[in-house]
Amino acid sequence: MKEKLSAVIYHVSRLVLAGTFIYAGYIKGADPVAFAGQVANYQILPYAWNFVVAATLPYIEFLCGAMLLLNQRVRPAVLVLFGLNLIFMLLLSYTIARGLDIDCGCFNPDAESKTKPLHALWRDAGLMLLMISTWMLRYRQSLPEDRED
Amino acid sequence: MSDLHLSPTMKRILLEACIITTVAFAFGLMVNYQMVMNSFAGKSVSTSVEKTADGNSTGGAVTDLLYPDPVDMEEIDDLLAEGALLVDARNNEDYKAGHLKSAISYPIGDAETKLEDFMQQVPKDRTLILYCNGFGCPDSFDLGVFLLNAGYQDVLAYEGGYPEWRDAGRPLEKGL
Repeated sequence: MKEKLSAVIYHVSRLVLAGTFIYAGYIKGADPVAFAGQVANYQILPYAWNFVVAATLPYIEFLCGAMLLLNQRVRPAVLVLFGLNLIFMLLLSYTIARGLDIDCGCFNPDAESKTKPLHALWRDAGLMLLMISTWMLRYRQSLPEDRED
Repeated sequence: MSDLHLSPTMKRILLEACIITTVAFAFGLMVNYQMVMNSFAGKSVSTSVEKTADGNSTGGAVTDLLYPDPVDMEEIDDLLAEGALLVDARNNEDYKAGHLKSAISYPIGDAETKLEDFMQQVPKDRTLILYCNGFGCPDSFDLGVFLLNAGYQDVLAYEGGYPEWRDAGRPLEKGL
Protein backbone atom coordinates (compact mmCIF):
# COMPACT_ATOMS: atom_id res chain seq x y z
CA MET A 1 0.00 0.00 0.00
CA LYS A 2 2.79 2.39 1.00
CA GLU A 3 4.75 1.45 -2.11
CA LYS A 4 1.72 2.12 -4.29
CA LEU A 5 1.16 5.52 -2.72
CA SER A 6 4.84 6.42 -3.24
CA ALA A 7 4.58 5.41 -6.87
CA VAL A 8 1.47 7.55 -7.39
CA ILE A 9 3.05 10.59 -5.73
CA TYR A 10 6.24 10.08 -7.73
CA HIS A 11 4.47 9.87 -11.08
CA VAL A 12 2.15 12.80 -10.33
CA SER A 13 5.10 15.00 -9.23
CA ARG A 14 7.12 13.95 -12.25
CA LEU A 15 4.30 14.64 -14.70
CA VAL A 16 3.39 18.00 -13.16
CA LEU A 17 7.04 19.07 -13.40
CA ALA A 18 7.28 17.73 -16.96
CA GLY A 19 4.18 19.63 -18.08
CA THR A 20 5.28 22.82 -16.37
CA PHE A 21 8.76 22.89 -17.86
CA ILE A 22 7.81 21.67 -21.33
CA TYR A 23 5.22 24.46 -21.49
CA ALA A 24 7.59 27.06 -20.03
CA GLY A 25 10.38 26.08 -22.43
CA TYR A 26 8.11 25.98 -25.47
CA ILE A 27 6.35 29.30 -24.85
CA LYS A 28 9.59 31.18 -24.12
CA GLY A 29 11.55 29.49 -26.90
CA ALA A 30 8.90 30.56 -29.42
CA ASP A 31 9.66 34.26 -28.84
CA PRO A 32 13.27 34.59 -27.64
CA VAL A 33 13.46 38.35 -28.31
CA ALA A 34 10.51 39.09 -26.02
CA PHE A 35 11.91 36.68 -23.43
CA ALA A 36 15.27 38.50 -23.61
CA GLY A 37 13.35 41.66 -22.70
CA GLN A 38 11.95 39.96 -19.63
CA VAL A 39 15.41 38.75 -18.62
CA ALA A 40 16.65 42.31 -19.08
CA ASN A 41 13.96 43.58 -16.69
CA TYR A 42 15.92 41.98 -13.84
CA GLN A 43 18.76 44.42 -14.65
CA ILE A 44 21.44 41.87 -13.85
CA LEU A 45 23.13 41.13 -17.16
CA PRO A 46 24.70 43.35 -19.85
CA TYR A 47 22.51 43.86 -22.93
CA ALA A 48 23.73 41.04 -25.22
CA TRP A 49 23.92 38.42 -22.44
CA ASN A 50 20.16 38.68 -21.97
CA PHE A 51 19.88 37.20 -25.47
CA VAL A 52 22.25 34.33 -24.59
CA VAL A 53 20.01 33.41 -21.64
CA ALA A 54 16.88 33.78 -23.78
CA ALA A 55 18.42 31.63 -26.52
CA THR A 56 19.38 28.74 -24.27
CA LEU A 57 17.29 28.59 -21.08
CA PRO A 58 14.03 27.53 -22.80
CA TYR A 59 15.81 24.56 -24.41
CA ILE A 60 17.26 23.43 -21.08
CA GLU A 61 13.80 23.62 -19.50
CA PHE A 62 12.20 21.83 -22.45
CA LEU A 63 14.77 19.01 -22.54
CA CYS A 64 14.54 18.42 -18.78
CA GLY A 65 10.74 18.44 -19.02
CA ALA A 66 10.90 15.89 -21.85
CA MET A 67 13.22 13.65 -19.79
CA LEU A 68 10.74 13.74 -16.92
CA LEU A 69 7.83 13.01 -19.24
CA LEU A 70 9.63 10.00 -20.68
CA ASN A 71 10.71 8.88 -17.19
CA GLN A 72 14.31 8.79 -18.38
CA ARG A 73 17.33 10.30 -16.59
CA VAL A 74 14.88 11.68 -14.04
CA ARG A 75 17.30 12.59 -11.29
CA PRO A 76 19.81 14.36 -13.58
CA ALA A 77 16.92 16.34 -15.09
CA VAL A 78 15.56 17.19 -11.64
CA LEU A 79 19.04 18.24 -10.51
CA VAL A 80 19.34 20.68 -13.43
CA LEU A 81 15.86 22.11 -12.80
CA PHE A 82 16.55 22.34 -9.07
CA GLY A 83 19.70 24.37 -9.78
CA LEU A 84 17.88 26.68 -12.20
CA ASN A 85 14.98 27.11 -9.80
CA LEU A 86 17.32 27.93 -6.94
CA ILE A 87 19.07 30.61 -9.01
CA PHE A 88 15.70 31.96 -10.08
CA MET A 89 14.43 32.13 -6.51
CA LEU A 90 17.54 34.03 -5.43
CA LEU A 91 17.01 36.44 -8.35
CA LEU A 92 13.37 36.94 -7.40
CA SER A 93 14.34 37.63 -3.79
CA TYR A 94 16.92 40.16 -4.97
CA THR A 95 14.27 41.74 -7.21
CA ILE A 96 11.81 42.02 -4.32
CA ALA A 97 14.54 43.53 -2.13
CA ARG A 98 15.25 46.16 -4.79
CA GLY A 99 11.54 46.94 -5.12
CA LEU A 100 11.38 46.26 -8.87
CA ASP A 101 7.83 45.82 -10.13
CA ILE A 102 8.40 43.52 -13.10
CA ASP A 103 6.84 40.46 -14.68
CA CYS A 104 8.75 37.36 -13.57
CA GLY A 105 9.18 36.10 -17.15
CA CYS A 106 8.30 32.60 -16.02
CA PHE A 107 6.00 31.66 -18.87
CA ASN A 108 4.48 33.63 -21.76
CA PRO A 109 6.68 36.65 -22.66
CA ASP A 110 3.74 38.37 -24.39
CA ALA A 111 1.21 37.83 -21.59
CA GLU A 112 -0.97 40.83 -20.80
CA SER A 113 -1.08 40.16 -17.06
CA LYS A 114 2.07 40.32 -14.98
CA THR A 115 3.14 37.69 -12.46
CA LYS A 116 4.58 39.59 -9.50
CA PRO A 117 7.96 38.41 -8.15
CA LEU A 118 6.48 37.43 -4.76
CA HIS A 119 3.81 35.31 -6.43
CA ALA A 120 6.47 33.67 -8.60
CA LEU A 121 8.59 33.00 -5.54
CA TRP A 122 5.78 31.04 -3.86
CA ARG A 123 5.13 29.11 -7.05
CA ASP A 124 8.81 28.21 -7.31
CA ALA A 125 8.81 27.05 -3.70
CA GLY A 126 6.00 24.65 -4.66
CA LEU A 127 8.00 23.42 -7.64
CA MET A 128 10.98 22.85 -5.36
CA LEU A 129 8.85 20.57 -3.18
CA LEU A 130 7.79 18.60 -6.24
CA MET A 131 11.42 18.31 -7.32
CA ILE A 132 12.49 17.06 -3.91
CA SER A 133 9.69 14.48 -3.80
CA THR A 134 10.49 13.35 -7.36
CA TRP A 135 14.18 13.01 -6.49
CA MET A 136 13.56 11.06 -3.30
CA LEU A 137 10.81 8.83 -4.62
CA ARG A 138 12.80 8.08 -7.77
CA TYR A 139 15.23 6.34 -5.44
CA ARG A 140 12.53 3.88 -4.46
CA GLN A 141 11.53 3.36 -8.08
CA SER A 142 15.10 2.71 -9.25
CA LEU A 143 16.70 -0.67 -9.68
CA PRO A 144 18.64 -2.03 -6.69
CA GLU A 145 21.97 -1.79 -8.54
CA ASP A 146 21.35 1.93 -9.16
CA ARG A 147 20.81 2.66 -5.50
CA GLU A 148 23.51 4.12 -3.36
CA ASP A 149 24.86 2.14 -0.44
CA MET B 1 41.82 20.33 1.89
CA SER B 2 39.63 17.25 2.12
CA ASP B 3 38.39 15.51 -1.01
CA LEU B 4 34.72 15.65 -1.84
CA HIS B 5 33.47 12.07 -1.64
CA LEU B 6 30.64 11.32 -4.01
CA SER B 7 29.18 7.90 -4.59
CA PRO B 8 29.45 6.48 -8.14
CA THR B 9 25.68 7.00 -8.55
CA MET B 10 25.90 10.66 -7.58
CA LYS B 11 28.89 11.16 -9.88
CA ARG B 12 26.90 9.64 -12.72
CA ILE B 13 23.90 11.88 -11.99
CA LEU B 14 26.11 14.98 -11.94
CA LEU B 15 27.78 13.97 -15.21
CA GLU B 16 24.43 13.36 -16.89
CA ALA B 17 23.08 16.68 -15.57
CA CYS B 18 26.10 18.45 -17.11
CA ILE B 19 25.54 16.63 -20.42
CA ILE B 20 21.82 17.57 -20.50
CA THR B 21 22.65 21.22 -19.79
CA THR B 22 25.45 21.34 -22.36
CA VAL B 23 23.40 19.68 -25.12
CA ALA B 24 20.39 21.97 -24.55
CA PHE B 25 22.62 25.06 -24.27
CA ALA B 26 24.42 24.23 -27.52
CA PHE B 27 21.16 23.46 -29.32
CA GLY B 28 19.60 26.74 -28.16
CA LEU B 29 22.65 28.70 -29.31
CA MET B 30 22.57 26.90 -32.66
CA VAL B 31 18.88 27.67 -33.24
CA ASN B 32 19.24 31.31 -32.16
CA TYR B 33 22.77 31.83 -33.47
CA GLN B 34 21.91 34.86 -35.60
CA MET B 35 20.00 36.61 -32.82
CA VAL B 36 22.84 36.15 -30.33
CA MET B 37 25.55 37.22 -32.78
CA ASN B 38 23.54 40.29 -33.79
CA SER B 39 22.99 41.27 -30.16
CA PHE B 40 26.77 41.21 -29.52
CA ALA B 41 27.46 43.07 -32.77
CA GLY B 42 24.91 45.80 -31.98
CA LYS B 43 22.75 44.83 -34.95
CA SER B 44 18.99 44.36 -35.26
CA VAL B 45 17.85 41.12 -33.61
CA SER B 46 14.27 41.01 -34.90
CA THR B 47 13.36 38.91 -37.90
CA SER B 48 9.64 39.70 -37.94
CA VAL B 49 9.86 42.25 -40.76
CA GLU B 50 12.50 41.46 -43.35
CA LYS B 51 13.34 43.64 -46.29
CA THR B 52 13.70 42.13 -49.71
CA ALA B 53 16.43 43.15 -52.13
CA ASP B 54 14.14 45.65 -53.84
CA GLY B 55 13.29 47.26 -50.52
CA ASN B 56 9.78 45.92 -50.08
CA SER B 57 8.76 44.61 -46.68
CA THR B 58 7.72 40.99 -46.43
CA GLY B 59 6.75 40.81 -42.77
CA GLY B 60 3.04 40.22 -43.28
CA ALA B 61 0.25 39.72 -45.73
CA VAL B 62 -0.20 43.48 -46.22
CA THR B 63 2.58 44.63 -48.50
CA ASP B 64 1.44 48.14 -49.43
CA LEU B 65 2.14 49.59 -45.96
CA LEU B 66 5.23 51.68 -45.36
CA TYR B 67 7.68 50.33 -42.79
CA PRO B 68 10.64 52.03 -41.10
CA ASP B 69 14.03 50.63 -42.07
CA PRO B 70 16.10 49.06 -39.29
CA VAL B 71 19.27 50.85 -38.22
CA ASP B 72 22.15 49.49 -36.13
CA MET B 73 23.88 51.26 -33.25
CA GLU B 74 27.14 51.70 -35.23
CA GLU B 75 25.37 53.61 -38.00
CA ILE B 76 23.72 56.12 -35.70
CA ASP B 77 26.74 58.35 -35.06
CA ASP B 78 27.21 58.96 -38.80
CA LEU B 79 23.51 59.62 -39.30
CA LEU B 80 23.45 62.11 -36.42
CA ALA B 81 26.48 63.89 -37.91
CA GLU B 82 24.50 64.19 -41.14
CA GLY B 83 21.60 65.84 -39.28
CA ALA B 84 19.35 62.95 -38.28
CA LEU B 85 17.02 63.39 -35.29
CA LEU B 86 16.68 60.86 -32.47
CA VAL B 87 13.07 60.31 -31.42
CA ASP B 88 12.16 58.50 -28.18
CA ALA B 89 8.86 56.64 -28.61
CA ARG B 90 8.59 55.57 -24.93
CA ASN B 91 6.31 57.20 -22.39
CA ASN B 92 7.23 60.46 -20.64
CA GLU B 93 8.30 58.78 -17.39
CA ASP B 94 10.82 56.56 -19.13
CA TYR B 95 12.08 59.53 -21.15
CA LYS B 96 12.56 61.62 -17.99
CA ALA B 97 14.41 58.78 -16.24
CA GLY B 98 16.94 58.63 -19.07
CA HIS B 99 17.17 58.91 -22.83
CA LEU B 100 19.69 59.00 -25.65
CA LYS B 101 21.54 62.30 -25.75
CA SER B 102 19.77 64.91 -27.91
CA ALA B 103 16.68 62.70 -28.40
CA ILE B 104 13.27 64.33 -28.36
CA SER B 105 10.24 62.72 -26.74
CA TYR B 106 7.35 61.55 -28.91
CA PRO B 107 5.42 58.85 -27.01
CA ILE B 108 3.50 56.46 -29.22
CA GLY B 109 0.45 57.06 -27.00
CA ASP B 110 0.47 60.74 -28.09
CA ALA B 111 1.08 60.02 -31.77
CA GLU B 112 -2.13 61.68 -32.97
CA THR B 113 -2.23 64.63 -30.58
CA LYS B 114 1.42 65.60 -30.96
CA LEU B 115 1.63 65.22 -34.73
CA GLU B 116 0.82 68.83 -35.58
CA ASP B 117 3.46 70.21 -33.21
CA PHE B 118 5.96 67.66 -34.43
CA MET B 119 5.34 68.55 -38.08
CA GLN B 120 5.84 72.24 -37.34
CA GLN B 121 9.18 71.57 -35.69
CA VAL B 122 10.59 68.82 -37.89
CA PRO B 123 10.73 69.03 -41.70
CA LYS B 124 9.48 66.00 -43.58
CA ASP B 125 12.79 65.37 -45.33
CA ARG B 126 14.76 65.08 -42.10
CA THR B 127 16.02 61.60 -41.20
CA LEU B 128 14.32 60.29 -38.07
CA ILE B 129 15.80 57.56 -35.85
CA LEU B 130 13.11 56.12 -33.60
CA TYR B 131 13.77 53.94 -30.58
CA CYS B 132 12.05 52.51 -27.50
CA ASN B 133 12.93 49.83 -24.95
CA GLY B 134 14.51 47.28 -27.32
CA PHE B 135 13.91 43.53 -27.13
CA GLY B 136 11.15 43.57 -29.72
CA CYS B 137 9.43 46.63 -28.21
CA PRO B 138 6.92 47.65 -30.92
CA ASP B 139 6.53 51.37 -30.05
CA SER B 140 9.32 52.73 -32.27
CA PHE B 141 8.19 50.54 -35.16
CA ASP B 142 4.54 51.58 -34.77
CA LEU B 143 5.48 55.26 -34.49
CA GLY B 144 7.65 54.81 -37.58
CA VAL B 145 4.72 53.46 -39.58
CA PHE B 146 2.59 56.36 -38.34
CA LEU B 147 5.16 59.00 -39.31
CA LEU B 148 5.78 57.45 -42.72
CA ASN B 149 2.07 57.60 -43.38
CA ALA B 150 2.08 61.21 -42.18
CA GLY B 151 4.53 62.03 -44.97
CA TYR B 152 7.99 61.63 -43.43
CA GLN B 153 10.28 60.12 -46.00
CA ASP B 154 13.30 58.78 -44.12
CA VAL B 155 12.24 57.00 -40.94
CA LEU B 156 14.52 54.46 -39.27
CA ALA B 157 13.90 52.19 -36.28
CA TYR B 158 16.79 51.54 -33.90
CA GLU B 159 15.74 48.24 -32.44
CA GLY B 160 18.35 47.87 -29.69
CA GLY B 161 16.88 51.02 -28.22
CA TYR B 162 17.62 52.52 -24.83
CA PRO B 163 18.95 49.30 -23.14
CA GLU B 164 21.55 48.56 -25.80
CA TRP B 165 22.67 52.19 -25.98
CA ARG B 166 22.95 52.44 -22.17
CA ASP B 167 24.82 49.14 -21.79
CA ALA B 168 27.26 50.15 -24.55
CA GLY B 169 28.19 53.21 -22.46
CA ARG B 170 26.89 55.66 -25.05
CA PRO B 171 25.92 59.21 -23.96
CA LEU B 172 22.62 59.62 -22.11
CA GLU B 173 20.63 62.50 -20.68
CA LYS B 174 17.98 62.76 -17.97
CA GLY B 175 14.92 64.96 -17.58
CA LEU B 176 12.81 66.73 -20.15
